[in-house]
Amino acid sequence: MSQALLLNLLFFLLGLPLVSAMLAQFISEKYRWLNPLIAVFLLLLTTITGISICVAQWNEAPVLLEHTWFSLGNYTITAGFYINNVTLVMVSVVSFISLMVHLFSSGYMAGDRFEKSYYTMLGFFTFCMLGLVLANNILLLFIFWELVGFSSYTLIGHWREKAIAAKAAGKAFVINRIADLGFIAAILILYTQTNSFSLTEVTQLTNEFWRNAAAISLLIAVMGKSAQVPFFNWLPSAMEGPTPVSALIHAATMVVAGIFLLIRMFPLFSPEALDIVVIVGSITALLGALAALHQYDIKKILAYSTISQLGLMLAAVGSGAYGVALLHLFTHAFFKAGLFLSAGAIIHVLHQAQHTAHVHFDVQDIRNLGGLKKMMPITLVCFAICSAALSGFPMLSGFQSKDAILVSLFNWSGNSWRLIFTWTVVVSFVLTIVYSVRMLWYIFFATAKKTSLLRVSEAPGILRIPIILLSLCSLWFVVSVHPLEYNGWLLNSIQPAKHYLFITWLSMILIPTLSVIAWWWYKSKELSRVYPVLKNGFYLDRVYDKAGKNTVLTLAYTAKKSDQGIDGFIHVLAYAQVTFAHLLAWFDKWIIDGGVNGIAWMARQTGALARSFSGGKIQTYIFWTTFTLIIFLFWILF
Amino acid sequence: MPIQPLYILSALLLSIGLVIVIVKRNAIMVLMGIELMLNAANINLIAFNQKTPQTLDGQVFSLFVMIIAVCEAAIGLAIILQVYRHYKTSVPDEVTELKG
Repeated sequence: MSQALLLNLLFFLLGLPLVSAMLAQFISEKYRWLNPLIAVFLLLLTTITGISICVAQWNEAPVLLEHTWFSLGNYTITAGFYINNVTLVMVSVVSFISLMVHLFSSGYMAGDRFEKSYYTMLGFFTFCMLGLVLANNILLLFIFWELVGFSSYTLIGHWREKAIAAKAAGKAFVINRIADLGFIAAILILYTQTNSFSLTEVTQLTNEFWRNAAAISLLIAVMGKSAQVPFFNWLPSAMEGPTPVSALIHAATMVVAGIFLLIRMFPLFSPEALDIVVIVGSITALLGALAALHQYDIKKILAYSTISQLGLMLAAVGSGAYGVALLHLFTHAFFKAGLFLSAGAIIHVLHQAQHTAHVHFDVQDIRNLGGLKKMMPITLVCFAICSAALSGFPMLSGFQSKDAILVSLFNWSGNSWRLIFTWTVVVSFVLTIVYSVRMLWYIFFATAKKTSLLRVSEAPGILRIPIILLSLCSLWFVVSVHPLEYNGWLLNSIQPAKHYLFITWLSMILIPTLSVIAWWWYKSKELSRVYPVLKNGFYLDRVYDKAGKNTVLTLAYTAKKSDQGIDGFIHVLAYAQVTFAHLLAWFDKWIIDGGVNGIAWMARQTGALARSFSGGKIQTYIFWTTFTLIIFLFWILF
Repeated sequence: MPIQPLYILSALLLSIGLVIVIVKRNAIMVLMGIELMLNAANINLIAFNQKTPQTLDGQVFSLFVMIIAVCEAAIGLAIILQVYRHYKTSVPDEVTELKG
C-alpha cells in the first residue's frame, strides 16, 4: 500500500469515531433514535477500514509516517504513526470490539437519559484508543493515554446521579493519575537521555542505569492502567459504569493499553526489569483469581478475572514472550468482551422482567440468580463458550494463548527461583477454572432463586448478535487452524514461541478434568461462604483510605496552616498597601490637587477682581477714579 | 471774614456731592450731585479770591462755572430724557445694552 493511501486511511480510521462522537452531541433530542444508528454505522466503517489496513499491511515492513509537530529552538518534535504487526492487531481488536459494543449499546442503552453523552464518550474513547496504539511519539501516546483515562472516568460515572458511580469514577481517575506519575517520569528520563520523543528512537537508549529507571517508571504507569497490584482496586469499582462500557474499556481495550505499552517499549526492558514485570504480573494473576472466586456480583467476578488475566499478560511480557502476551490480549479481548456482554444481556433482560413483575432485587448478585438455562439458551451457550475460553478449554482460543503463556513462563524460569512465580501462575490458572465454573453454575444451572419470580425470555436480537459474534471469535480458528497449535498467523508474524508438547497435552487433560471436578463440587453443595478479605479485594480500598487519606489529610492540614500563614502575611501586606494608598490619596487630594486648585482659585479671584473694575456701572467707575485720584494725591502731597 | 469755614464747607459739599454721585441710582440725582460738586468748586474759587481782593478772577471764574453748569445740566437732562424715552428708565444701571 502506498504511504499516501495508508495515511489517508489512517486519518479515516481515526476520524470516523470522532465524527460519531461529535454527531451524537449535535443530534437534537427529537431525532435521538438516530444516535445509535449513526454510531453503529460509523463504527462499522471504522472496523472495515481498520481490518482492511490490517490485512493490507500484515507482514509488510514497519511503516513510519512522521511529520514535524512543533519546533523549539533547535529541537524539532515529530509526531506520526508507526505501523507494524503489533499495531495492526491492536487496531483491528479495538475497532472490532468497539463496533460490537456500539451494537450492543444500541439495545442496552436505549432510552437512557444520558444517551447523547454516552455515544459521544464511546466514540471519543475509540478515537483515543486508536490514536494511542498508532502514535509514534511518546508525548502523543501520553496524551491519548490520559484521554482514554478521561473517557473511562466519564463513562464509569455515566449514571451520575448514583453517588457510588461518581465515587468509583473519581477513584479510577485518582489512582490512574498517581500511577501516571511514572509515565511522566519515564518521558522526562527518555527525553533527557535521547533528546527525542519518538518511540523508535527512545527505545534505542543504551545507558544501563537510565534504561532501567525508565523501564521501572513505565511499569508503574502500566500497573495503574492495567490494574496490577497494588493499584488494581479501581477496576472492580469501575463496574458501576454501564456494562457495555465495562466490556469495551475495562476488559478488552483500555486496560490492555498497559500491556501494549510494555510491548512497544520492550527493548527498554533489561532481563532484571522483566523479572520484576513477571513478579508483579504473577502476583496480580493469583490475587485477582482468588478475589474473583469470592465475589457475588457477576460484574465484580468478571472484573477480578480481568485483573487476573491482565496479570497473566504482564507475566508473559516479562518472560520475554511479548508476542504471547499480545496473543493472550487478542484472545482475551474477545472472550472477556463476550462474557461482559452476556452478563449485560442477562442484567438487561432481568431488569425488564423486574419492571413488568414489580419485583425488585439485585440482578447482578449470583445468590439471586439461577435457572436461567431454560430461559436464555442462546446466552447460555455464548456465556459457556466464553467462560470455557477463559478457563482454557481445548478447541477454544483461550487454550492456545494460555498454553503459550505457560510454555514461555516455564522457558523463562528454568530451574531457578523463578519457578515460584511460574507455579503462582499455574495456581491462578486452576483458580480461573474454578471461578468460571462457579459463575456458570450459579447463573444458569443452579435452582432458580429469586429469578423464579420473573418471567424471563431470551435477550433481544440486537443484544444477541454481538454476543454470538464474540463467542464465535473465541473459537480456536482465530489463533490458528490447528486447535492445539498457538503459532498461528499472529505469533508467526510477531514472535514465534517455542513448543513444549508435554505441557500442551497435560493441560489438555487437566483442564477439562478440573472443570468437571469443580462442576461436581459446586453441584453438590450450596453457595459457600466467602472470605471477607477476598470479597473486598484485600481491603485495598481501606488500606488506601487509612494510609492515603491520613497522609493526604495531614498534608492538606499542613498546607492549610501554611496557607493561613501566607494569607496572614499577604493580608498584612495588603493592609500596609491600602494604608499607604490612603496616605497617597490624602496627599494627592490636599497637597497636589490643593496646590493646583489653589493656583486656579487665585487666578480666578484675580480675574474676578480685575473684572469687577469694569462691571459696566458708571458709578463704580467714578468711585474707583476718585479713589485712585485720592491715593495719587496722598502720594504726591505726603 | 475768616476763610477757614469756607474751605470746610466746600470740602463738605464736594464730599456730599461725590457721595451722591456714587451712591444714588437715579441719573437725575447724579446730576444734582454734580451740581453740588461744581458749587463746592465755586465756593472755593470765591474763597481763594479773598487772598487777592484787588482782582476779581475768582468771581469771574465762578460765573463761568455757573454758566457751564447750566449748560451741562441742560444737556444732561436732555440726555436723561432721551434715555428715559428709549429705555423707559432713568437709572443708568438698568441701561445695559452694551454689557456682554
